[in-house]
Amino acid sequence: MLDVQSLRKVFGGLVAVDTISFDVPENSILGLIGVNGSGKTTIMNCINGIYDATEGVINFRGTNLVGKKPYEIARLGIGRTFQVPRLFRRLTLTENLMVPVLEDSRSNVELTEKANALLAEVDLYRIRDNHAEELSGGQQKLVELLRVMMLDPDLILLDEPFAGVHPNLCKVFLEQILKLKDAGKSFILVSHDLTSVYSLSEHLLVLNQGQKIAEGNAADIQHNPDVIEAFLGR
Amino acid sequence: MMTTLLIQALVTGLILGALYGLIGCSLTIIYGTMRIVNFSHGEFVVAGCFAVLMFFTATGLHPLLSIPLVFVAFFLVGMCLYYLFVPRLNRGDDPEVASFLTFYGVSLMAGAILLYFFQADTRSLNYVFTPSVYKIGHVFIPTAHIVALATGVAIIAALTWFLYRTIYGKALRAAIMNRDAIQIVGVNINTLSALAFGLAIAIAASTGVLLALVFPAFGPFSGMDYTLVGFVVIVLGGLGHPIGAIIGGIVFGIAEQVAIVFLPQSLSQAVGFIILIAAITLRPSGLFGKVALR
Repeated sequence: MLDVQSLRKVFGGLVAVDTISFDVPENSILGLIGVNGSGKTTIMNCINGIYDATEGVINFRGTNLVGKKPYEIARLGIGRTFQVPRLFRRLTLTENLMVPVLEDSRSNVELTEKANALLAEVDLYRIRDNHAEELSGGQQKLVELLRVMMLDPDLILLDEPFAGVHPNLCKVFLEQILKLKDAGKSFILVSHDLTSVYSLSEHLLVLNQGQKIAEGNAADIQHNPDVIEAFLGR
Repeated sequence: MMTTLLIQALVTGLILGALYGLIGCSLTIIYGTMRIVNFSHGEFVVAGCFAVLMFFTATGLHPLLSIPLVFVAFFLVGMCLYYLFVPRLNRGDDPEVASFLTFYGVSLMAGAILLYFFQADTRSLNYVFTPSVYKIGHVFIPTAHIVALATGVAIIAALTWFLYRTIYGKALRAAIMNRDAIQIVGVNINTLSALAFGLAIAIAASTGVLLALVFPAFGPFSGMDYTLVGFVVIVLGGLGHPIGAIIGGIVFGIAEQVAIVFLPQSLSQAVGFIILIAAITLRPSGLFGKVALR
């Protein structure tokens, strides 16, 4: 589905991502882990067009994403959430979910019903008319995921979905991810919550200072000496 | 006597303030959506004054009938200006400074074009309302002011409906709230920004039509004054708050008119700017920064 080849991103003299390759198969979850500043979020930003890759190719179902604008990438079927949710804080929850479908040909009633059904799934329908800024951080992350779902993407990039979220909401978030996975979606998951990443991801990529230091399944990664050194030091 | 003067000043201030608010509102739509400092905004207000003058001279019809034509024509002008300058400016590292300089240039060019076609003499829209003045108690209100206020309120109502009830208006507000996020959810910010730019220039020119009714004279060099008023109003109302700008405009208009009554003329012109400095010092987010309806 997504094939990243020799991706490199340089900011001035700083090499944030250094010639990294990986792929995300259909209906899979790839976990990206690494200490702060290892390049995880930069990779996400290159995939969804916030940054232009300095070098390399990012192929999504035959289309090279490099040079494309974020809205074009979103329309190709790649959604994205952020560590700090980027909701439209003075719009209601329903309105937040309606913004992505601005140019959708379906009727307003049909789209509103879809938005409200998504909100009902995570028990936020009752506060659908509240402004987004009135929600807790965890609820905002959930609404951000629902907003992504309005465009029905095939690949979803999740940046620290569990950071600072109440355990009950984490459970709801996990259920949503698994449900979407069952529906055929793929994910790239960036998280410091290693327990969740290990349990969810079929494949993991470990980064350190912009370089790939290991990849494999959870069992491989947990016992990899390079990974242990990168996370815990010598 | 002083009470009558004060009431007169409040009424005139409210009327002018609503129009100032429209200038600020349109300016803040541009700044809020695309972080572009449109220093030529006042020139489009003045162009609206000249447009209604041309319309009235050519047709002899009621000046308000020009508003739909002016709106559509300047909407297209705004869209063209957007595609000519803004996407290029946004590619730079500091679009705000670059836009300030670029649109200062546009302001000079627009002023020169107005000067070429209309000469430096001030002009008047010689349309006479009947009756020309209404007397309510001891207060005199020119009919032109009442008509301008009513039309201004209608434009504000239509704009509020657009911003709060239509999906494109909500998207525009979303872009003001978070320009990055709206692109990530699949909205073409370029198209939305062009719409916002066209809308803002159309509102500015339509406000010019109303100001031509209210003020006895206008000339090609008045643009910068309106631009400054626009900036004062949006800082007062809170940057990026379209409705806050309208409230800021009314505060500015009333302060200006009350100052004219109670202070020497040389000082009265400074009052609006004293309020601006006080607002920046005491409430940098604007008078309505927290509660404005965004």
